[in-house]
Amino acid sequence: MMRWPYKISLRYRSIFRKSRVEQELSDELRFHLGSLIEENIAKGMTAEESRYAALREIGGLEQIKEECRDMRRVNYIENFIQDIRYGLRQLRRSPGFTVIAILTLALGIGANAFIFSAVNGVLLRPLPYPNSNRLAQVWSTNPHTNRWGDWVSYPDFVDWRAQNKVFEDLVAYRTWLTNITGGDHPDALFTVLASSSLFSVLQSQPLLGRSFLPDEDKPGHNRVVVLSDALWRSRFGSDPHLVGKTVVINGESYTVIGIMPPHFRFPLNPPEGLVPSAWLPVGLDPSQSDRGSHNYRVVGRLRPGVTPSQAQADMEAIARNLAQSYAADQGLGIKVAGLEENVTSEVRPALLVLLGAVGLVLLIACANVGNLLLSRAVARQREVALRLAIGANGSRIVKQMLTESVLLALIGGGVGLLLAFQGLSFLVKLAPNVPRLHESTVDSRVLIFCSFLSLATGILFGLVPAFQASRIHLNEALKQSGPSRRLGSGPRLRGMVAVAETALALMLLIGAGLLIRSFVRLSNVELGFNPRNVLTSMIMLPESRYSAPNRQAAFFKEAIRRIEALPGVESVAAADSVPLVTNDTGSVSVEGQPQPTLDGMSIQAERPKITPGYFRAMGIPLLRGRTFTWADNETSLPVAIVSDAAARLYWPNEDPIGKRVSESDESEGRIVWRQVIGVVGDVRQDGLADKVRPSVYTPLSQLPMPFAALIVMSRMDPQSLADPVRRQVMAVDKDQPLFSIQTMQEVVDDSVSNRAFQTVLLSLFAAVAMTLATIGIYGVMSHSAAQRTREIGIRMALGAQKRDTLKLVVSQGMFLALLGVSIGVIGALALTRFMSSLLYGVKPTDPMTFIGVSLVLAAVSLVASYVPARRATKVDPMVALRHE
Amino acid sequence: MSKPTDLVQGTLDLLILKTIALEPMHGWGIAQRIRQVSGEVLQVNQGALYPALHRLEQSGWIKAKWGESDNNRRAKYYSLTPAGRRYQEQEHANWQRLSAAIGLVLETP
Repeated sequence: MMRWPYKISLRYRSIFRKSRVEQELSDELRFHLGSLIEENIAKGMTAEESRYAALREIGGLEQIKEECRDMRRVNYIENFIQDIRYGLRQLRRSPGFTVIAILTLALGIGANAFIFSAVNGVLLRPLPYPNSNRLAQVWSTNPHTNRWGDWVSYPDFVDWRAQNKVFEDLVAYRTWLTNITGGDHPDALFTVLASSSLFSVLQSQPLLGRSFLPDEDKPGHNRVVVLSDALWRSRFGSDPHLVGKTVVINGESYTVIGIMPPHFRFPLNPPEGLVPSAWLPVGLDPSQSDRGSHNYRVVGRLRPGVTPSQAQADMEAIARNLAQSYAADQGLGIKVAGLEENVTSEVRPALLVLLGAVGLVLLIACANVGNLLLSRAVARQREVALRLAIGANGSRIVKQMLTESVLLALIGGGVGLLLAFQGLSFLVKLAPNVPRLHESTVDSRVLIFCSFLSLATGILFGLVPAFQASRIHLNEALKQSGPSRRLGSGPRLRGMVAVAETALALMLLIGAGLLIRSFVRLSNVELGFNPRNVLTSMIMLPESRYSAPNRQAAFFKEAIRRIEALPGVESVAAADSVPLVTNDTGSVSVEGQPQPTLDGMSIQAERPKITPGYFRAMGIPLLRGRTFTWADNETSLPVAIVSDAAARLYWPNEDPIGKRVSESDESEGRIVWRQVIGVVGDVRQDGLADKVRPSVYTPLSQLPMPFAALIVMSRMDPQSLADPVRRQVMAVDKDQPLFSIQTMQEVVDDSVSNRAFQTVLLSLFAAVAMTLATIGIYGVMSHSAAQRTREIGIRMALGAQKRDTLKLVVSQGMFLALLGVSIGVIGALALTRFMSSLLYGVKPTDPMTFIGVSLVLAAVSLVASYVPARRATKVDPMVALRHE
Repeated sequence: MSKPTDLVQGTLDLLILKTIALEPMHGWGIAQRIRQVSGEVLQVNQGALYPALHRLEQSGWIKAKWGESDNNRRAKYYSLTPAGRRYQEQEHANWQRLSAAIGLVLETP
């Protein structure tokens, strides 16, 4: 016969017919008591005697009841509900404590939820392509610029693709800013030019139409385009018959062959956070392309079972062969790494450091709330003693206390989650350049993380106070009229908590200090140009109508003339390179010298093509010689201007004026020698933290380009010039949109935005940590001073000076603080090396930061212990003696 | 009142099950019966008896029903469930085997 029907009906009764069950329990025990009394009377006792005897014999009626309740097995549910009710009541009864604790926890848990959402969105979520773990980024490495994502030349890519045995296929791609015309207005278009293998490598297919055919990346076959869902909707009104029609891109007709699904994105970390909206085949003949021009990025799909490191070995062999066959490939290595890793490699260390930082903040928050609970435990001693006396056992008390702390943590976590939600949108604004960040949301994983964290937090900060509370000595606690003076190891425990808090806060402050110092260093870097009042924008002339170089030059000349005539405009120039935005890096040649090399590698130089007003507009100083004029044109003597670094590198201790250079590689065939006519100051083309490269400037009119940035320097807010400049350009050619309009100051700020984001966040967390730690130290010191009121009273009564007493209390606080600082310094020494990749010009063990931050924290601790100490000495000795 | 002989939990369970095997009984009755039958040796403390009864009930070995006692008061009567009856027999057999074994060990000179 089965037992479970009985069990279920009993459990049901226990939960839902609770008062009935309780009544029955009372009745049953009362019957027993009655029978006992009757028996005693039968033995000859009086009614009263027999009653007392029975009660004595039966012992603790409530304890028996409680034990019987335990047997019901559902007691834990009931107790839990009861504990929650009781806990909520307790929290309501001391709103001050509750609010402080919840806010502290909300800060701690919220900061964690916030950073975890970012980590989750950026690092943890798989890339949005099928089997994305088999996608790998492949790039050429150059010992001089050995870093992530160096570019690949198209001929190298073609050889890699043909010779490797580890990839199913590879794709080469580059981004291309152009425009789309036809219809009522021109639009700037951010596109990706790729080999025809693009969609097969990504295993992503258009929603409508088809992807590229294998031959479509050959010249003459490449007039096809795949559009993004967004472009299809915005520009073509979701026309369901668009596939097969032609659109005008860069002045030429392209047939739309496909529309991608809405979520499709590639690449994931495009420059300047632009979102590509069309994918076109490259249309390149590899035999005609320059092996020295590194313009492409390469992604490959690994064969199943091949790891990136296995692929690395195979590809290295290919790179060695290429290096032997082609001069341009000499010294080039190769690197294969998972795409996921590559997309986020730049932000990974920062996010992990931040995650560590918020972890520390949460620990400090836990310590603070734990401390508060310890203080409360003292005040609640009598309550606990009473509960123990009327039948609760120790574990019951621990459970109840833990329920309270977990309750606190859960409420704190809820508030924290709201904070995180707010914080995330702030984060996206702060760091527009973090790939995939804008897709980060508070998703189920974040919710689970947050709930788990809250639970763990509640148990972490509640466990010690709960055990302390359950271990009180019944008799003593009940006898005392006021809160007990000593509570087990309380004071020592609190001291330890204060030390730990100080140490944790110090580590965070040192981390933030290092980042701030890096940021200051970086902000003080010589840009080499003056971003003030400079507006940049880009223009891409369609080759169909501007194929002749002189037409391109004429367009820019006319546009510059018109813009210069605008009121307030000082200087206008066009250039194919804008510092920190776009650049053209490659080999240059110096007449009468071998390729300039460093450690056997040809040195890469910047090769900007500019119009005469460029140096003035950008505020780059002319050091010697003259600048270009409009007279330097196609028919005149080929000329060049070099940067200071180039002059010192190519002609050390010689006058560079009159020497000859070329902006292309001598070994690549026919080159034009240019006479150096001037030397200008060095400019950071690539990034503030990067090394200055030598630059060779050439006149745009001698080397016309269809693409150029317009640079406008004015006497006023450059933003206000955006529309007038646009109108002047449209006046020259109504089909030419200006895109990427931004001030140079924005460009500079943007280039450091990720660093700003790390610095601001870590500083914020460090400030929170320091505040919490200060509150913690203050709390511990106040408590300890209050406990020593009597001792202080005696000392003062015996003639101790205020100063001595003050010293006594303060020195105790300072002892804790210095201990915390010492531990923190050791911890920071161990941890800061993990953030070395985030630093610029500062060592992870920078003594200035370490000493400075330690002093600040020590000073704050001094104040935090001085205030309670002073209060203690103000006590009237007589009052102090009567204390307790 | 002297502390009754300590009964191991399993033993008390077996005594209760055996006692109510014949007829439904209330807690008081069970305690009295065990005391009488054991010749006043086994004194069941109510602090142990009632939790044990509740535990057995919750485990589905015994079931309870309210009824009238000899002196016309409402009392909770416990009786074996079919599963409890089998359980009691099984435990009884276990006990006999165990006590026989202990007896053997103790009586062997």
